[in-house]
Amino acid sequence: MEQFLNDNMYVIDLGELNTAPEIIFELSSVLDKEEVKNKRICLKLGNVDLNQAQLLSIKSLINGIDSTLSCVDTKSVETEKVALSLGIIVSNVSAENAVELAPTMPYKMAEELKDEAINTETEENEDIVEESDINSESLNDAIIEDNESLPSEQTEESREVEENIEPQQEESQIEKEVVAEPTETINSDIDNGVVQETEKEEIQDELDVIFGSTPSQTVFYDMQHPTEMYEEREELTDIIVPEQEYTKEDIELESFPTKYIKQTIRSGQVINYEGNIVIIGDCHPGCEVTAFGDITVWGILSGIAHAGAGGNQKAKVRALKMNAIQLRIANCYSRRPDSLNTVYIEKTNSFTPEEARIVNGEIVVFKMND
Amino acid sequence: MAGRVIVITSGKGGVGKTTTSANIGTALAKNGHSVVLVDTDIGLRNLDLLLGLENRIVYTLVDVVEERCKLKQALVKDKKNPNLCLLAAAQTRDKSSVSAEQLKKITEKLKKDYDYILIDCPAGIEQGFQTAIAGASEAIVVTTPEMSAVRDADRIIGLLEAADGIESYKLLLNRVRPNMIKSKDMMSVEDVENILSCQKIGVIPEDTGIITSTNRGEPIVNNEKSLAGKAYMNVARRINGEDVPFLDIDEPKDFVGKLKKFFSGLKKQGKE
Repeated sequence: MEQFLNDNMYVIDLGELNTAPEIIFELSSVLDKEEVKNKRICLKLGNVDLNQAQLLSIKSLINGIDSTLSCVDTKSVETEKVALSLGIIVSNVSAENAVELAPTMPYKMAEELKDEAINTETEENEDIVEESDINSESLNDAIIEDNESLPSEQTEESREVEENIEPQQEESQIEKEVVAEPTETINSDIDNGVVQETEKEEIQDELDVIFGSTPSQTVFYDMQHPTEMYEEREELTDIIVPEQEYTKEDIELESFPTKYIKQTIRSGQVINYEGNIVIIGDCHPGCEVTAFGDITVWGILSGIAHAGAGGNQKAKVRALKMNAIQLRIANCYSRRPDSLNTVYIEKTNSFTPEEARIVNGEIVVFKMND
Repeated sequence: MAGRVIVITSGKGGVGKTTTSANIGTALAKNGHSVVLVDTDIGLRNLDLLLGLENRIVYTLVDVVEERCKLKQALVKDKKNPNLCLLAAAQTRDKSSVSAEQLKKITEKLKKDYDYILIDCPAGIEQGFQTAIAGASEAIVVTTPEMSAVRDADRIIGLLEAADGIESYKLLLNRVRPNMIKSKDMMSVEDVENILSCQKIGVIPEDTGIITSTNRGEPIVNNEKSLAGKAYMNVARRINGEDVPFLDIDEPKDFVGKLKKFFSGLKKQGKE
């Protein structure tokens, strides 16, 4: 694989690679570089037949670093068709006069460094950790910086080591890179650890699901948005739950930073945050928790909770035991039924987690089974 | 029509100011008067809990003062009695959020529309107390027949006398145990009256039902069988200017005593 800098255009030669996962992996390691950002990118592909979904995911990878995929050079007729249908120019790119760049960093190192970066981050803020989304740019930036600071010898060594355990490792790295990729279209459900443990064939199957037969973006969308876990309503069953659509508000919720609070929130205490709040502990009556995003209480919620305070109707309030005096989501407001006047709730090990969200303009509490 | 503004205060904590406020307010409303209960115990509010209105509070006294809502919006109507309204205190703020002048303005506004404005005063003699008494023209001093509570009540009466707005004050003796008075283990009602040289407006017997009613969020005056409930009803009538005799709170516990009382009651009826 080679990369060339051709005028304003950045040419990435992937002509020797024969499968879509390989291409995506190599591409993602190239895209880690600073030079590739804010460029028009031209891909040189070989005989590979790419379908629409695969090309789309490549395009979104490139869009994720503020670059654009401007042209594709391919020998495959199939790929050419797909590229044209997506509005990508198909042309022959001359590799002459191109500037060759240094060999790429293996992603393995970056992965390790990423873990370290996360660890140090959490150590710094012990009690209240304001953690931005894992997908956010800051983490990726950190990885890149660390890449640059490493000596090149070490790089080559680790690369050699890696070639020995090539295929499986490589594919798992694809997964990881895909997960760390900042655009919204990529499935984030696949866990890093799971991938490492599974056999090569299984990974291949999974990759086929992601990049394989079904030719539309909805594949990613479905996987990213989990299916309904809570369909039963406790008291009234006549309300039909409309199908969830993936909207701007969902994207907004996911892009919010999250604040972790490990303490009991007592009467009179107020917590405000312009993002999601996760409370590990109970919320006693008389406290007020206000968040622009979701509120999740790992304990008993008995105070006042206001999710989506910025007006986000999709915000939700979750708790292991929902006993909130008042629930407010966006501009909706509901109060605890008078019949449910429990003096206190016994702390047991068998709480059924509950979730409150807006259904047809009113706040409804659902039991989250399984 | 100008309403009466009555502050319910004590000095010492835990003698039953809030219980008294809730019950007198409910009793007055039951008798057909329009009543507003104002909780000035900012940061340690309980009045909403006693009335069972905790889940209905959206705006509080502090929101009214800071003009985030209108006064009408902040008034929470009682579940059972449409004559009764509650203006709750904020739980997440402190006493300095409302000044005496601001509370006075609010009571002036409320006076126009309601017969009675009852102000539940916080314990202590600091800023919260000074704020609470600012708008009031009458006071009810709650005390129990214990030396510490009586001392604090004395101090409070002194402060009330010095205050500008307070025209009259009455004593309400709470948690009285007739049995202990009989065995001379507790000060009698007369003793307390003498010590404080203050006219009493009611005597409330100790009643375990108070605890249940607090936990259920329902004032004890709604329970017609309860002696304490009856006593509070009488207090409400006296506030309204009726001449009601003081309740016979002497309730013997043993069976023989009960029989004696029963027969003496029959005798009285026979004489009449």
